[in-house]
Amino acid sequence: MAACDAINDSETKKGPVPEGWLKRAIQRNGAGYMFLAPWLIGFFCLTLGPALISLYLSFTNFDLLTAPEFVGAQNYVRMATADPKFTAAIKVTLLYVALSVPLKLAFALAIAMVLNRGMRGLPVYRAIFYLPSLLGTSVAIAVLWRQLFASDGLVNAMLAMVGIEGPSWISNPNYSLYTLVVLSVWQFGSPMIIFLAGLRQIPTDMYEAASLDGASPTRQFLRITLPLLSPVIFFNFVIQTIEAFKAFTPAFVISGGSGGPINSTLFYTLYLYQEAFSYFRMGYASALAWVLVIIIAIFTAFSFLTTKYWVHYDD
Amino acid sequence: MNSTNIGRRRLLGAGLAMASLPFLGSAPALAQQAGNIRMIWWGGDERARRTNAAIDLFKQANPGVTVESEFMGWDDYWARLATQVAGGNAPDFIQMDYRYMFEYARRGAIRPLDEFLGKELAIADFGQVNLDSCSVDGKLYGGNVGVNAFSVVFDGKAWDEAGVNAPTLGLSWDGFAEQCAAFTSANKRSRVYATADGSCQEGLFEVWLRTQGKALYNPDGTLGYDAADAGRWFAYWTEMRKAKSCVPADTQALYKNSPETSPIVTGSAVTDFAHSNQFESFQKLVQAELSVVGAPVQEGGKPGQYLKPSQMFSVSSTSKDPALAARMINFLVRAPEGARLLGLDRGVPASPEIREAIMPDLSETSRKVVELISSLTPHIGALPPSPPKGAGEINAVQIRISQEVGFEAVSPEQGGASLVDEAAAILKRA
Repeated sequence: MAACDAINDSETKKGPVPEGWLKRAIQRNGAGYMFLAPWLIGFFCLTLGPALISLYLSFTNFDLLTAPEFVGAQNYVRMATADPKFTAAIKVTLLYVALSVPLKLAFALAIAMVLNRGMRGLPVYRAIFYLPSLLGTSVAIAVLWRQLFASDGLVNAMLAMVGIEGPSWISNPNYSLYTLVVLSVWQFGSPMIIFLAGLRQIPTDMYEAASLDGASPTRQFLRITLPLLSPVIFFNFVIQTIEAFKAFTPAFVISGGSGGPINSTLFYTLYLYQEAFSYFRMGYASALAWVLVIIIAIFTAFSFLTTKYWVHYDD
Repeated sequence: MNSTNIGRRRLLGAGLAMASLPFLGSAPALAQQAGNIRMIWWGGDERARRTNAAIDLFKQANPGVTVESEFMGWDDYWARLATQVAGGNAPDFIQMDYRYMFEYARRGAIRPLDEFLGKELAIADFGQVNLDSCSVDGKLYGGNVGVNAFSVVFDGKAWDEAGVNAPTLGLSWDGFAEQCAAFTSANKRSRVYATADGSCQEGLFEVWLRTQGKALYNPDGTLGYDAADAGRWFAYWTEMRKAKSCVPADTQALYKNSPETSPIVTGSAVTDFAHSNQFESFQKLVQAELSVVGAPVQEGGKPGQYLKPSQMFSVSSTSKDPALAARMINFLVRAPEGARLLGLDRGVPASPEIREAIMPDLSETSRKVVELISSLTPHIGALPPSPPKGAGEINAVQIRISQEVGFEAVSPEQGGASLVDEAAAILKRA
């Protein structure tokens, strides 16, 4: 209450600076910093500090048991020139991002448009469709996915009904990554909620005017919905791309931490984890982590550069 | 297991303990018995039940001693242990593996136990070979909890039903392939095969190499086989796969180095390969009665198998009361009351006296393991040299290449060549 009073006092008093101004300012800001303290401490001690240390470690050899040994840019050089597993991990991750993000966004938008028609029991449907994205990153769902796509799993049981003998999806290097893409698309809930909110913002009179002019639903979608929704699409695109680059749990659980079979699910983060915690090359793993940061930053920056061609902020 | 909870609670405990340190300093000297041991080990639920019972008994026998124990699976274990050691927060009592013992000992993370030998640690009757196997550069770094051997696990009834002789000790590799082929032609169940695909199994590959006078690693840490050897290994299993004697590649790819994921447990094979101390875990997971024998041999070849010190208990070099930790090791591996509770879960005890003492309590399944070790003992060779740094990574490479060969992405010869190339690169880097 005292802090509130102080704020009210300083805001109501105008004119010459009153005595004790400094004291009051400290009092006022002090309360603010107090409230910020948990975040500030967390940010400096648990985020910024470790990040800077990992930047330093990325220029060392460090196996946790002995002191880090400075090796210059050797880790980065090795990554660029002599690490086939790094190349494999990059390929797998890029393919995963390229497939899962557009599919997930398209799926989320489609469901959002259906839900936007104002059907009865909308909150229930919304909750049901949102549920997978709450569960999807959990270990339990990854385990379920294993069961679903195993050689004697539900998917193959359904295929068997139409006379197809399906392969063991998750343990066949030709299909294993696609089961992970499907798992990702299935978690369309959070972009869907955001799309739904975006669709609600589009004035209905635009559609009315368009249909009076004889525009078909497809044309309305292309000329009204997509342009007006583009800021939301852009937002979802950036968020989902970053998420996809950082995907870890499903591959870790489904491949048992190996990224197999034959490195087909060796996500970048999984490779980073293996280097750090299976082979104790903390220096190299730190370098991998920083390269991932740079890759994500470049992708995000590039996405922002393209906005002027397709994102409409005018209203 | 919810290890983060334990971690948080322990952290809090550690904080409280730190806070109370100044007060302890001024207190009068405590009784000799008092002390605290932090213990870390890997394993599953069955092992947890046994270990916790033994810890409770140790605490009863030593009033005033507290033991904080933490356990997790193999994969998480090494990351967690290394992190704790790096953070200057190493547990006193550490379950150690033969492969990692050398790294931890040479970096000074675990301490020599020679000064306790014959006193707190009365394990002289383990025999010199066993003590040597737990030593690095002539110093003892752990009390061995048990020995194991690589073995073949099979469902005898399924082999009987097919009218084919089940694997026996002394069966040759060619004989094994023939018997599996005979099983396949007699077998009526779909998606059931005679054996798992052993090409990914490092332990089996090692036995195979040793029967031919080769090894996984030489004493100087270089590779003990060449591309042609590895190529022939992959070719053997490619023939098995073609003859439908072993499971197809996509079934074997589900195996994640644990009994739960073994083809014999998931019902796609009637034979698999495992370390003998895992036999009880296999038996718990399948209805059929399992048997265990030694791995196939080479006719006129050298002894392939050896008794491996499956695990040891070590003491951290930063432990404040190493004598107490040594006493606890002794209680678990050499005192009959403690060793009986641990049973054979970590291997067959090295002490003949302890073996005698626990024999009456053993289940039918455990007896089979003791019999296996006894029957193998006349045929074993020397313990192989310590695996070099990077050996764990090479194991992962072997698994990946066995899949590449299995899915026919490369030929067995190419697989053998790339295994040797990649292994050499890893050894050079490590």
